[in-house]
Amino acid sequence: MTSNLPGFLFAIPFFAAIVIPVVGFTNQKFCRPIALGALVFLSIVSVIGLSEAVSHGPLSHEFGGWAPPIGIEWVVDGLSGLLMVAISIVSLIALVHAGPLVEKELSDRVIPFYSLSLLLIAALGGMVLTGDLFNLFVFLEIGSLASYVLVGVAGGRSLHSAFRYLILGTIGASLYLLGVGYFYAETGTLNMADLAQRLPEVIDSRAVLTGLLFIVLGLAIKMGLFPLHGWLPDAYTYAPDSFTPLLTSVVTKVPLYAFVRIAFWIFGMTTVSTQIPILVVLGWVGAVAAIVGAYLAIWQENFKRMLAYSSVSSMGLFMLGFSLGTETGFAGGLFYVLADTLMKAALFGVAGAAIYQCGASTVTDLVRLRRNMPWVSTALLISALSMVGIPPTAGFFGKWHLVVGALEAEKYFAVTAILVSSMLTALYFFRMFQRVWAEPLQLVEPHVLETPFPIRISLGVLTFGIMALGLGSDLVMGLIFESVIPKGF
Amino acid sequence: MADILLYRPHFVAFIILFLLGMYIMVVNPNLVKKLIGMYLMQTSIILFFIILAVKKDSTIPILLDSATALPPEAYANPLPHVLMLTAIVVGVSTLGVSLAMVIALYRQYSTLEEDEILGKMK
Amino acid sequence: MIRPHDSVIVHTLARVFTPIIQLFALYVLVHGHHSPGGGFQAGTLFAASVILSILAFGIQGSLIVLERRAIILGGIGILLYAGIGLLPLILGEEFLNYGELPIPGMEASARRHWGILGIEIGVTIAVAATAVSIFYSLSGRGEGEGKYYG
Repeated sequence: MTSNLPGFLFAIPFFAAIVIPVVGFTNQKFCRPIALGALVFLSIVSVIGLSEAVSHGPLSHEFGGWAPPIGIEWVVDGLSGLLMVAISIVSLIALVHAGPLVEKELSDRVIPFYSLSLLLIAALGGMVLTGDLFNLFVFLEIGSLASYVLVGVAGGRSLHSAFRYLILGTIGASLYLLGVGYFYAETGTLNMADLAQRLPEVIDSRAVLTGLLFIVLGLAIKMGLFPLHGWLPDAYTYAPDSFTPLLTSVVTKVPLYAFVRIAFWIFGMTTVSTQIPILVVLGWVGAVAAIVGAYLAIWQENFKRMLAYSSVSSMGLFMLGFSLGTETGFAGGLFYVLADTLMKAALFGVAGAAIYQCGASTVTDLVRLRRNMPWVSTALLISALSMVGIPPTAGFFGKWHLVVGALEAEKYFAVTAILVSSMLTALYFFRMFQRVWAEPLQLVEPHVLETPFPIRISLGVLTFGIMALGLGSDLVMGLIFESVIPKGF
Repeated sequence: MADILLYRPHFVAFIILFLLGMYIMVVNPNLVKKLIGMYLMQTSIILFFIILAVKKDSTIPILLDSATALPPEAYANPLPHVLMLTAIVVGVSTLGVSLAMVIALYRQYSTLEEDEILGKMK
Repeated sequence: MIRPHDSVIVHTLARVFTPIIQLFALYVLVHGHHSPGGGFQAGTLFAASVILSILAFGIQGSLIVLERRAIILGGIGILLYAGIGLLPLILGEEFLNYGELPIPGMEASARRHWGILGIEIGVTIAVAATAVSIFYSLSGRGEGEGKYYG
């Protein structure tokens, strides 16, 4: 049914992103309240949108009054509403966390930071909600440009990482645009729903196959899937600590959502499993990514770099879950994606807090957290246990549903990959536990205080969220099965 | 293979430009030349979309008087042109951001060759 | 510091061409409704005229002197575009559906005509200001020199 709500989901962060430089040049103190207020408003509206979509059916908004397939429409259905809620709440928490860090390391670049962060959130929302392939490309590029600049805004080593991210990201977006061109040439439409209707007649043409391959390649570069992840470790390590929670938790998940939408809603689960069997290839790629990413993380001394390789491994697990080809596998993958946004935000938030408060950037230096920083060390403990997969955290239930889905689909290589990568993850996280908690405390450790209030409250909310998502996993899985997965998948 | 070269040389031109742009981007160590390769690659994709819009014996899609009926074969397809206006803007913005980054890198390391920058970063 | 060019030919031609380019930019903007043209093209032409006068006459030859002011002007341009788009959203219609605004005395097609013109003016201001500020940051002599990338 048509509704105004998706328009507001675009307008709120977009207007905040434009108003912040205009107002902030008079007084810098106004940037943060405007940004946080806009994100609170956005979270409330997205929760309302999700509840409306679940109870009454998908909401659709036609821009300019032009009806699709001629016009561009935005759709809030179960999947996009759920992801929009996740994006808005996690980015609110990440920006609350960034407050003290921005004042310390980016003190003369406060206005660009908040303005570009809000522009990035508006673009991510646009990518999730849109129902038009070219509109997805436009928002993909807006979000990517904002994140290239934000990765490089700290100067120093981050500039080279941002440049490499820019080159590889632009190649990815150009390949995606090329794929959209092939789809348009073969069917004559860009609207996702219309394309889904016109596709079965032309499914055997080589243009459609080539278009799908280009789109998958382009999105794989953007999300950091294993062989195409070259930009990811440097960008995650050297980006400013105020930006990394936002970067690592949501920015790579949205191209994954775009792939899921194109593969399962436009093509259909049976088509991509049997007629154009890309799911088979992507399953193997995901399995290799999960194992290799976890293996490379063992050898890293820098804490953020270790977490970056852990993100490569997680992306492999997501792709593995989505490529299983069953409803349970898909639901497990989606649940694990939601859990991972919270886990990554918490882990990179801990890394930023450690560097801010006691200059601890390597895994051995994290021992300084033990004495006087209970909030930060609790957050580290819970989120690390969740990454390994210890009950009752959210990560355990995510991996549990993934393994159940893989057993149902009888893909035993997937089960092996999930278990092996979990064991390797346990290896490097337990090594971190041993260095942080089990070694004797030096008496000459510098006396550190607890972190400021914004960092404490954001890490506390994230920790609570991980436990709550784990304990309430039945409700979330029920919601996914009811509202997200369309009938006759 | 021969009929592709004879009857559809524009697709061959697109492929050559795309691969040339990507080769420049990958091989050349100078940062600004990498950007030239990137922009060349994006321009070749714009060329691909414009190729999709051409029809034989068609004129520009401008409406001169709205009284007569419109046969769609007489007008070139305007939709890919409009899409490519947006893509050109995106390419220009990316070029602006990347040039600003190159200038910041130059101010920091006083060189534009990537291997020297990697050497200085060690 | 961009010094003025010291050739009489460049000075004379820049003095002749700058208003011609700006007039052509206005023509392209207003005729975007009927022929190829529109907001982005007009904004780029306008920025080209400003950059030409800077290259010929030095920094004093420009209209938008400070980089900070250019960014604010760009923000005002985008606010104009998005404000015209947001007005129907607040009143209950869709975003950018200015054919349904309750302005008396105009039918729907006339409202769309004036709505598009207003939007394109906003886009022109934004694009011109952004292009000039890109030029300033690349020349390294904007007001924020060394400010954003220390």
